[in-house]
Amino acid sequence: MNTYYATNLLVYAGVDIIACLALNMQFGVSGIVNFSFIVFQAVGAYTAAVLSLPPDSANGGFQIYFGGYQLPFPIPWIGGAAAGGLLSIPVGLVVLRRLRSDYQAIALLVLSIITNAVITNARPLLNGAAGLALVPPPFSDQIDPNTETYQFLYVGLTAICVVIVFVLVNRIVESPYGRTLRAMRERELAAMAIGKNPVQLKMTVFIVGGVIAGLSGAILVGFIQLWAPSVWLYPETIILFAAVIVGGRGNNIGAILGALLVPVGFEEVTRFIPTTIGPPGLIPALQWVAIGLLIIGFLWFRPEGVRPEPRHVFEGAAVREETG
Amino acid sequence: MAAAAEALVTPGRPMLVASDIHRHFEGLHAVDGVSIDVPSGQITGLIGPNGAGKSTLLAVLAGTLPASSGTIVFDGEDITSSPAYRRARRGLVRTFQLPSEFARLTVLENLLVAAPKHRGDSLFGALMGKGYWIDDERRLVHQARALLDRFGMSAQESDYAGTMSGGQKRLIEIMRALMLQPRLLLLDEPMSGVHPKIVLEIQHYLQDLRAEGLTILMVEHELHMVERLCDSVVVMAQGKVIGSGTMATLRRQREIVDAYLVG
Repeated sequence: MNTYYATNLLVYAGVDIIACLALNMQFGVSGIVNFSFIVFQAVGAYTAAVLSLPPDSANGGFQIYFGGYQLPFPIPWIGGAAAGGLLSIPVGLVVLRRLRSDYQAIALLVLSIITNAVITNARPLLNGAAGLALVPPPFSDQIDPNTETYQFLYVGLTAICVVIVFVLVNRIVESPYGRTLRAMRERELAAMAIGKNPVQLKMTVFIVGGVIAGLSGAILVGFIQLWAPSVWLYPETIILFAAVIVGGRGNNIGAILGALLVPVGFEEVTRFIPTTIGPPGLIPALQWVAIGLLIIGFLWFRPEGVRPEPRHVFEGAAVREETG
Repeated sequence: MAAAAEALVTPGRPMLVASDIHRHFEGLHAVDGVSIDVPSGQITGLIGPNGAGKSTLLAVLAGTLPASSGTIVFDGEDITSSPAYRRARRGLVRTFQLPSEFARLTVLENLLVAAPKHRGDSLFGALMGKGYWIDDERRLVHQARALLDRFGMSAQESDYAGTMSGGQKRLIEIMRALMLQPRLLLLDEPMSGVHPKIVLEIQHYLQDLRAEGLTILMVEHELHMVERLCDSVVVMAQGKVIGSGTMATLRRQREIVDAYLVG
C-alpha cells in the first residue's frame, strides 16, 4: 500500500512540475497571465483518453464519447501534447493579439469557465459531467497496471518527461530568446521599439506552453485512468499560479520547488487534517482559503518567491567593491 | 515660410520623407498634415510648445502609433504600413520621452537584448542549446561593453536597470538603440530630467555619432542645446509645421518667435 501511495505522489509531483515549468515560462518569464492553463492540460488528457480508449460501445456502452481509437503508447501522449499546442493557436490568436494583458487574463479565465461548462453539459462529446473512465494506461496490454513493477515503470516514464521538459524549458528561459521574453514582460512597447514582435513571441510561448500542458494531462490521465470536468475546474489553475509565485517567478528551479511545495506538499499535508472537525466540507473549503492566503502572503512579504529570478551576471564583469 | 524651407541644407537624399501625416485622437488633430524631410547625416531638431504634436509625430514615424493618413518613406522604401518592430529592424529606431528601460534586466542585458541577428534569439536557436549561440553572445557582450565603456557605465553592467538614476536610464536607452546599429535615431527629449553634467555628455555623444554618419531627429525643449547641436530645426505648433531652417533664420521669423521662441 505504501508503494502505491509513494508512486502516486511521485507521478502527481512529476505532472505538477511539468505544468509549473510551462506556466512559469508563460507567466513568470513572458508575463502572459494564462488563467486557462488547466484547459490545455485537460485537452491533452481528453485527447490521450480518446486515443487509447476502445470505441464507446465497449464495456456495455456505459459512457459515450467520440473517437476511441485504441492506439498504443506513446501515440496518446504525443497526441495529447499536440492537442494542447493546437488548441493554443486559435485561443492565442483571439486573446493575445489585440487585448491588453489584464484583459487577456480575464478573457482566459472566462474561457476556462466556459469550456468546463460546455464539456460538462454536452454529454455526447466527452461523456459530460461523469467524464471518461477506464482509460487504458500505457502498456496495459503487456503489463498488469496493478503491480508494483508497473507503478515504478510509470514513475520512470513520468521522470523521463520531466527531464526532457526541464531541459527544453531551461534552454528557452536561459537563452537570448528568454532574455527577449523577459524584456517583453518588462515593457512591451519598448521591446517593439527594438525590433521585437510581441504578438509572435507571445504566440510562440503560448503554443509551446500548450504542448507541455497537454503532455502533463496525458501523463496524468494514463495514471489515474479517468478524466472528468470536476478535475479541471478553473481553481486548479490558481493552484499552479500559487506554486509559481511561491517558488519564484522566472526561475525554473523555483517552479519545481513551487510544484513540490504547493500542489503536492500543501495538498498532501492538509489531507491529514481530520475531516470530522466542523461541518462537512469545511476542511476542503478551508484548503482553498489557505491557498488564497498563501498567494497573498507571498505577494505581500516575498513577491520574488523562494527562489527569485536569477540576476544574469556575465563572465568578466567588472567586480566592484562594496562600500560600507 | 517658403524662404525658410529653402534655407534648409540637404546634402544628398533625405533619410526619411514624411508627407502629409495626419494623426487624430477622436476629434483631436494631434498631427495635422505634417510633411517633413530628415536630411541624412545631420541632426535635425524638432521643437514647439507643449501639445504641438512633436512626440505624436515621432511615434507615428517610428510606427508606435499608426498614422491616420499620409506616407512615410525611409531610405527610399515606403514604410507607412510597416509595424514598429519591422521599422526598428530596418534601422529606424526611437527612444521614449519617459524612461523605458527593462527594469529587471541588468544594464548589460538591456543592451544585449536589442542586438539584431542573434542566433540564440529565436525558439529554434534557444532549443539548440548554448553551443549554438555562444559565439554570437560573446561577440555582442564585447560590443555592448565597448558602448558601456564609451558612455562611462561599465561599473553598472550587472546592476538591474530599474535601479539606475533617470540620467543613467537615458544613457541605457541611447546605448540600447545604438546596439541595433540604426541609420536614423529618433530621440524624444533625451535630455529631460537629466543632470547637467550628463546633458553635456549626451551632447558630446550625439556629436560623435553624427560625425560617424548617423542621422538623428530629436525633440528637444532646451533651445540653447538645439542651437549648439542641430544642423536644422523644424518648428511645430498645434499639429502643424510652422517653419524650418537653422535656429538663426528661425529667430528672425516673427510668427515663430510669437508661437514659441518668446522668453
